[in-house]
Formats: sequence, C-alpha cells, structure tokens
Amino acid sequence: MTAAAMSLGYRRARAVRVAWLASAGRLLRIELRRNAMIWLLPVLGALFWFDAYRTAMSYPAVWDLRASVLPAKVVIDFAALVAGASAWMGARETRCRTCGLVTTTPQPGWTRRSATLAATLTWVIVAYLACVALLYAATAVQVTWGGPPWWPVAVGAAALAAVCTIGFAAGTFFASRFTPLLTAVAVFVLEVVGFRSAVGAFGGYRLLSPAGSAPGQDAGLFYPYLPDLAIAQAMFFTGLAVAAVSALGLSRAAGGGARLRVAAAAAGLAGLVAAGVSTGLVGTARVGPNGVVIAALHDAGSDQPLRYAPVCADATGVPVCIHPAFRSYLPKVTAALGPVISLVAGLPGAPVRVSEVATSLVASTNQQADVAGTPPVYRFAMPPTPGSFVQIAGENFTQSLQIAFVTTVIGGSAPSANGPETGNLAQQVVETVLLRRVGLTDGTLNPPTNAAAVAAIRRFAALPAATRHAWLAAHVPALRAGQITLAELP
Amino acid sequence: MNVEITGVTRRFGRNQAVAGVDLETGPGVFGLLGPNGAGKTTLLRMMATVISPSSGRMRLLGRDPGGYGPRREIRRRLGYLPQSLGYYPGFTVAEFVEYFALLKEMPPARIPGAVAAAVERVDLGRKARVKLRTLSGGMLRRVGIAQAIVNEPELLLLDEPTAGLDPEQRVAFRALLRDLGQRATVIVSTHLVEDVGAACTEVALMDAGKIVFHGTPAELTARGEGHGAAGDAPLERGYSAVLAEARS
Repeated sequence: MTAAAMSLGYRRARAVRVAWLASAGRLLRIELRRNAMIWLLPVLGALFWFDAYRTAMSYPAVWDLRASVLPAKVVIDFAALVAGASAWMGARETRCRTCGLVTTTPQPGWTRRSATLAATLTWVIVAYLACVALLYAATAVQVTWGGPPWWPVAVGAAALAAVCTIGFAAGTFFASRFTPLLTAVAVFVLEVVGFRSAVGAFGGYRLLSPAGSAPGQDAGLFYPYLPDLAIAQAMFFTGLAVAAVSALGLSRAAGGGARLRVAAAAAGLAGLVAAGVSTGLVGTARVGPNGVVIAALHDAGSDQPLRYAPVCADATGVPVCIHPAFRSYLPKVTAALGPVISLVAGLPGAPVRVSEVATSLVASTNQQADVAGTPPVYRFAMPPTPGSFVQIAGENFTQSLQIAFVTTVIGGSAPSANGPETGNLAQQVVETVLLRRVGLTDGTLNPPTNAAAVAAIRRFAALPAATRHAWLAAHVPALRAGQITLAELP
Repeated sequence: MNVEITGVTRRFGRNQAVAGVDLETGPGVFGLLGPNGAGKTTLLRMMATVISPSSGRMRLLGRDPGGYGPRREIRRRLGYLPQSLGYYPGFTVAEFVEYFALLKEMPPARIPGAVAAAVERVDLGRKARVKLRTLSGGMLRRVGIAQAIVNEPELLLLDEPTAGLDPEQRVAFRALLRDLGQRATVIVSTHLVEDVGAACTEVALMDAGKIVFHGTPAELTARGEGHGAAGDAPLERGYSAVLAEARS
C-alpha cells in the first residue's frame, strides 16, 4: 500500500470518527434536555439539604467526618428516586410505543439506550457532584487542618451509577407503568433491609453498603484515611454498573450483531467478577483502630501516623494541646478543663500537661483518657464518631471532659459513660464532691446512693477546701490505688 | 427494482397474516389497498424490517434484510411511518425529527438543514419548537411523516399516512407523495381509495393475506365498470368488484 493510500485511509477513518462523535454529541444533547431526571433535581436538592447537609454541618469541621455523609446519607437518600427515574427512562420506548419505529433505524437498540442511559446518569452524577461541591465548599471555609478526601466521593458516585444503571435495565427488560415504582421500592427495601439487616446478619458483608462507610475514629486526623473499604465498595458498585450496562447489550432488542454481544458478554462477566471479588474481599475485612482493614488491599504506609503540630493554650497554668483539626474547640476545651485542673493542682500525679491523642493510644483499656509519663500528662481522645461527636456542640461536651479528667486523675480510670460510677465507693465519693464544686449536678453525675456513701459525700463536702486539698495531697496515691475505704474518708 | 418480494408469508401463531405475497416495484408511488385485517400493515412491517418473514424471499434496495450488515444499509435508506405513531411527548417537533435523523445515521453536517426541510415540507415550520404533547392528532401525523422523510429515503413506507389529516392537508400530502415518488419507492398502505387515485402510479389490493389485484389505478377502475351503486367513486367500485371476485 502506498503512503498516499494510507494517508487517504487515515483521513477517512478520522472523518468517520469525527462524524460519529458529532452524532453522539447531538443525540446526547437531546437526551439531556428531555430527560425525566431533570424533574427530580429539585427533589434531590431538597433531600440533600434536609438530611445530608444538615447532618454534616452538625459534625465538627473535620474533612473525613463531613465526607462520611456522602455515601452514608446522600446515596441512601437518592438511591430509590434515582432507580425509579432511571427505570422510567429505560421503559421509555415501550411506554411511548416507539419500539416499532426506532427498530427501523440503523442504530442498534443498544446505542439508543446507551444515549438515554448516559444522559440519565449524567444528570445523576451532576446532581451528586453539585452536592459534593456545596458540602466541600462549606467545609473548606470552616476546617483548620487537612484536605478533602476523595474516596467517599468515588464510592458515592459508583453506588449511584450502579443504582441508575440497574434501574434503567429493570425499566428496559420489565417495561410497564408499574416498573419505576416497583424498582424504587425494591431499591429502598434493599437499602434498609438488605444491607443494614439481612446481609449484616451474615457478617461483614454489610460493609458493602454505602451506609457502612463511617471512617475510623482517628482516620484523617492522627492516621491517614484508610481506603481499603472504599476501594472494595467502589469496585463492587462499578462491577454492578458494568454488568447492568452489559445486560442491555445482550438482550435481543439490543441489535448490534455478534460482535456487540461478545463484547457485552465479556464486559458483563468482568463486571460480575469485579463485584464478586469485592464481595469476597469485604468478607475478609476486620475493623482496625484506624478504620476497616482489608488485607489484600491494605497499604502498610497507611498505618504510619500523620505529622501535625498541635495547637495549645493555657488552662490555669497547665498547657492544653489538641489536634489542629479541632483548633476552633480549643477555647471550649481549656474553659472546661481549667476549673478541674485547679482542683487537683499540687496533688501527687496531677498532670502538668493535657494532650489530645489518637483514640488508639488511650483505648487499650477501653477508655477515652489516661494519665501517662513522667512528669504526668493527661491524655484524652475526642469522641470523633458521628453519633457521639454531636456532644461537642452541646453542654455535654464540657461536662464529659470534666468528668473524664477528674475520674482519671482521682480514680485512675475514665468512666465509660457520664458520671463517676466506676471505681470503688471512696473514689466515687471524692469524684462526686470535686465535680459538684465545678458546678455539675447529681443529674449529670449519677453519684452513689447507698446511705454510707451519701453520708461520706456530705462529710467530705463539708470540709474546708484547704483541709480537703491537704487530705487529698496526702492520700491520693492510695485513693487512686483503691486502698482507701469509705470509713477512712474524713 | 427497489422492492422484490417472492412467496413471503408471515404467521402469528396459528394466524397467517401474510400468505404468499409476490411483489416487485421500483421508483414511484405504490398504493397498498385492502380491508381491515387484509395483511397490509404486516407486509409493510416486514418491508420496514421491523419483523422478518416466516418464509419467502425478500430483497429491499437490492439487499437481503436477513443479514445484519445489509439490514443496517437498508435502514439508512428507509423511511417508515407506522399506523400508530409512538412519540416522546417532551420532545419538540424539531428534536423528534432530529432524533430520527441521528438514528438514521445521517451525516451530522446535513442534519440541521434536513430537519428544517422535512418540518417545512409537512407545513410544521412554525411549530418546530413546540412540544409534541401539545399537538393535535393531525399534526402528530405530520410529525411522523417528517421523521420518515428526513433522510430523503429511497424506500418510504407509509401506513395510513392521511388518517387524521384535514382535507387541505391531505391534498398537500398527496402532492408531497407525488414529489417523493419521483426519486424513491413510496409504498402507501391505506383504505382510502381517493388517496390512491390521486397520488399512486401503481396499486395492489390485498385480502386475507394475499394480493388479489396488482395494476394501475386506471386498471382497478376498469375492473369496477358495471358494478356498485351510482354514488360510489369509480375506484371504490373497482375495489369492491375485485374483493367480491376474490372472495367468490
């Protein structure tokens, strides 16, 4: 073949490609303009604002916490509607009785439906990314440390793509006026029952649900975000989406000839394999201190702690240092700890420094705080799971910091819940008296109620402050060791 | 010949809708007449490649529609208006016609002009940006015709194209048919014999799945001489006479 002939062939092939792209672009433009998903956008926007956005804004301005609502809230809220609308679009040719007409065109059914699906999926992803942009923009102006995580965004996008394509395939294969509603209901039931309950009953497979995407407590703060679970979830949902799209190419109505069917079968198989492999991987998952670990996907580098410079302030002469991500909470932490630090100042083993540390550092005894080192340092962990962290915005946060401090310093162990109900009775009596002095009430403290303890509380509280402090200075090591009885209290 | 059909049959279960049809036709307007249930629509759907024959041989535009490649080539050169036009209510007239121009794989550069021309030819230029859900039945019929002719087909199949059109539009449509028939093979299935008389150069009459007459409108008229009532149109008399003869 001569160079001129090759050049001519190349130019022709290029012209064909350009024409194909131009046609595909025009087809997509029409489908985008006339897609039913457009009508759902305000509903999706309202759902996002009422649920996901407001929930995220109630969390501290920490990237990973805020981003956790993307798969856990946005996807769950959007899924049923997206599936129903996609099924509506998938059933369009049957619903509008255009099957006979469009069959007489040279474009295979698979191409037509791909354009419709692409437009539907585009609107879904645009809506989702708009939500991500809004959430991340609002978070960006509040955060004091770190950068936005992208894995939760990818998991959410993959999950919505899977729901959209599966809904579309359902509408195509089971076209009827009831299909969109039934598809939406089925997806809702799968979300609520399938993932959260039924699948969960068989073990770790509930982790495949986007709702199971809460980050580890130290993730993104003291340790890098662990992407293991996100990778498996993205793989699972992408596999499902590819399998659903491939099913459209395998149907009799797809047209397109043998090559399309072979390609669709191969892609569908690959999608199912990906979904199956990811399911298998999630079955091997274990919950580590920094998040879900899947050995086959785990990067050991993710276990190395992140470097950060703590932010510190003074609380009645004792430096209080916390993670820079919580910089805005520093005044609240020092204001809460200042009074209780004053109460124990000068006692043996009283901390000379307060530091916020990773949960994994203090969680060995299932507590949120300890006193360690020489000179002693009071180490505490913020409770950064979405459920518990709302405390930070309320009165409970101040009280829980004060209770944890006093019970750790006096009793040697932090409470697992509010109130000095751990430790022996003598410890509980002393802790109750000290905490009452900083303004905590019995409703919060849950003090011991037997007669001897109540009498001891009354007795110890009646002591002059200097006398009480002097007694504590002499006896706190024994008290901490559990060697003081109620009768020995002054 | 653009259409060559030999011994074509089509069964739906036990019902034989088309029972051994032979037909050959080239450029021009071909009228397919017959009573309800005669098999006209089924024959048209086979020629439109919507369904395949149960038996027999069919060549359209010189190609065998049984093969995937030739069938796509036929479809690029085909225009089809079904008896009951399905449509997407949210599309505008221009979008609907453009949608089919794209599905018919027209060169992208030609599409805007072809869409505008097709819409103008059916006198819907002023309604081009109107959504289909707002159009009357007659206007929708014209939209269906516009999508069928947008690719300037070499084989145009129209099933009851004048149903729902007002008299003025029917006259205009017949003129359009004559114009299209200059270059393409236009097959019009109808039970309105006046359409055939005004526009067709050739006519076939079907009954019970078979072609019982094939000739010119004048020949059909001649078959009716001496039959029917005084008020009947000449073609109607021919139509009735042929059917009566076929059924006797």
